[in-house]
Amino acid sequence: MALVVYLTRVGGYLLGLRVRHVGRLRPVLEILPGCAFMAILAPAVRQGSLLDLVALACVVGIMWKTDNVAVASAVGLAALLFGEEIQGLIT
Amino acid sequence: MTFQQSMWLGARASIGFWISTFLFGLLFGLAAASAGIEQWMALFMSAAVFSASAQFAALEFWEAPLPLASIALSVALVSSRNILLGMSLTHQLDDYSLVRRMTHLALLTDPAAVMILRLQYNVNRLGYLTGYGLALFVSWICSTWTGFTFAHLLVDAKIDSLDFAGPMVMATMMILFVKGSRGRSFPWLISGTVSLIMFELGIPAYTILPVSVAAGVIVGLRLVRSDG
Repeated sequence: MALVVYLTRVGGYLLGLRVRHVGRLRPVLEILPGCAFMAILAPAVRQGSLLDLVALACVVGIMWKTDNVAVASAVGLAALLFGEEIQGLIT
Repeated sequence: MTFQQSMWLGARASIGFWISTFLFGLLFGLAAASAGIEQWMALFMSAAVFSASAQFAALEFWEAPLPLASIALSVALVSSRNILLGMSLTHQLDDYSLVRRMTHLALLTDPAAVMILRLQYNVNRLGYLTGYGLALFVSWICSTWTGFTFAHLLVDAKIDSLDFAGPMVMATMMILFVKGSRGRSFPWLISGTVSLIMFELGIPAYTILPVSVAAGVIVGLRLVRSDG
């Protein structure tokens, strides 16, 4: 298992070394992680509940305003953990 | 900036992701205890694999006799995004021997790759990657131990409500990416849209990542061409 994960980590790097000399490929290589994250994120968000989406909106809003990962993560996790209680208090 | 200074910078920059890493480690420790794995083995797995998604994927199959081929295939599929992360760093780590780069890449994590691509000043990227990875590694091991040791206390906690924590952490990384992208967000939107369409059509999950990323890359290539 460790070997498989390690091979994915170095495999991509070695593959990149083989193609890096192709002209103007650098900006394309650098968008790859964003493409991967979006490909994983989109279906996950589609499956999320309303509370999940509210927590996500909090995280995105805080990140956009502050770039503070710790605060955004803490607020998002708190929203996931206590969202139902807060919703119960409001309604 | 020297290797050591960059390492320290990376370690400090990782603090934001300590919380989510600790949470996932906690959940992994708890899940490992529930699966009947011995503590030393759970800690060894966390130390050797150092990947939340891969370790959770392996736990799905964890029963005697261990289906090693299924575990390897499942781990490879969930770790395939590492290939893309590694490719994205191709231009970033040039100042050291290949052996040294290969060694330090064992510490590659999603947030480290995102942060390295955002770095705009003269930081030693390999040092930064190492410091970032080591700091998250410490968080990962400590949280695995904590989750395993206190599993009996955590069983009643509302663990199920944290199912969405993974996508949420990914969203934080995506925002970092978008804000540092200097207007190159369109390929990501394409990848996300293609992925969503494939998901809605019920296309097998293992094909969604490569096809969606390919769509984003094609758009990215066209943008580069039109810029040139």
